[in-house]
Amino acid sequence: MNPAGQLTRLGTAAVEFANIILTTPDASIGASARDVVWTHRNTTLYRYRSALRRHPVPILLVFALINRPAIFDLQPGNSFVEFLLGQGFDVFLVDWGEPDEADADMGLEAFVLDELHWAIRETELASGVDELSVVGWCIGGTLAAMYAALEGEAVRNLVLLTTPIDVAGSRYARWVARESFDPAGITATYPTVPGPLIDVANRLLKPVTNYWSTYRRLWEDVAAGRDRRAAYQAMAKWVGDNPGFPGRAFREWITWMYKDNALIRGEIRLRGRRVDLAAIDQNLLVITAGADHIAPREGTVPLLHLVGSADVTHFDRPGGHIGLMIGSNAREGLWPDIAAWLARRSTR
Amino acid sequence: MASASDPLDFAARIYRESESALAALSEQLVGRDAFAEVLAWTTENVMALTRLAFDAGDLVVRNLRLAGRADINRLGRQLARTEDKLERVLQEVEALRAGQAAAATAPGEAEPAAS
Repeated sequence: MNPAGQLTRLGTAAVEFANIILTTPDASIGASARDVVWTHRNTTLYRYRSALRRHPVPILLVFALINRPAIFDLQPGNSFVEFLLGQGFDVFLVDWGEPDEADADMGLEAFVLDELHWAIRETELASGVDELSVVGWCIGGTLAAMYAALEGEAVRNLVLLTTPIDVAGSRYARWVARESFDPAGITATYPTVPGPLIDVANRLLKPVTNYWSTYRRLWEDVAAGRDRRAAYQAMAKWVGDNPGFPGRAFREWITWMYKDNALIRGEIRLRGRRVDLAAIDQNLLVITAGADHIAPREGTVPLLHLVGSADVTHFDRPGGHIGLMIGSNAREGLWPDIAAWLARRSTR
Repeated sequence: MASASDPLDFAARIYRESESALAALSEQLVGRDAFAEVLAWTTENVMALTRLAFDAGDLVVRNLRLAGRADINRLGRQLARTEDKLERVLQEVEALRAGQAAAATAPGEAEPAAS
């Protein structure tokens, strides 16, 4: 290509690059058809109906208190929900919504013993069964594990994806476990901690990768004429959509999990009831990611030896905290493996 | 197709290697105690300044006899408490209805005589 052609191509690429960045908020994510089954405060329970339903035990998806659960249903062709529906599962999803300052009094006990407990009850009522599978991811996995330890009768199968359990030694712990980091000082200013504030902390874990390399890679793809608009925008929109973290839950999460490392020690009490991981007796699948810097494998694996379950499986796969469940590797590897594990344990 | 000795390719390779090294270095940096300490101090200071600004703003709004953030939050919390109570009442009603339905269909249960 002659210099004039190259210059024109560069200009076109620059406009396209800017357009991709600027129109990211317009991208459509979490678009699979669903019904609202139940709402309480900010929490909504959704149901995705499968036309091919053949497994009697429904699946309830539980995501973290930071970021939105749309990651389970990112975009058509790259949706875990869509995949599960295709495998014949009845799929439910808990969305914690967007807490504001009026929800600052919601602690972890409210999420585990009220919101999740009631969502499970509503799932049973809606599907007409008395047992279900719970798939928890990140903090959602920790909440699901706490629930299974305290109120697990309705949970037949428990799947924990990149779930923090023993956080000692993690980079987060290095930041927030120290005495000089005061979560109460943050919640005194922001009764519900703004999502963007937490997003900055998450991005700072890998500053160059998150603030520069992502955009450099996109630029290279655009300049080379590779079409990454849909994939980039879906992921970027999800990453940038951060609900607030209710102040009380934030303080408890930081103090109990990071400062005291209390979950692994069996020292967390929710409404006076001790969360004893040995009380988890459901069929358990634990999934860790080799390159997870948020919930490192070493922080999840100890759970395998603590639970009382007779049926324990561990998948350790390459990928990061979120990347593990996104893209062609997940579609062709991890998703079918999870579905097969669940299908064997979802018979009457 | 660019040749192996293409200076642009060479520059791109050098750039990528530098970026990778910088990324690894930055991750080491944020993993150090000194960075964590600075982050904690900075967070504390920014929060304290923000709180001062919020308090001053709220004071102005309240002195103008307008509903401020605290007033709206108080209303929001009252609504949330009411919703909590409604949810518990609804669950009780559902449990009672389920109990009634179970009693009505229990085997050996005598049907009430029609009057």
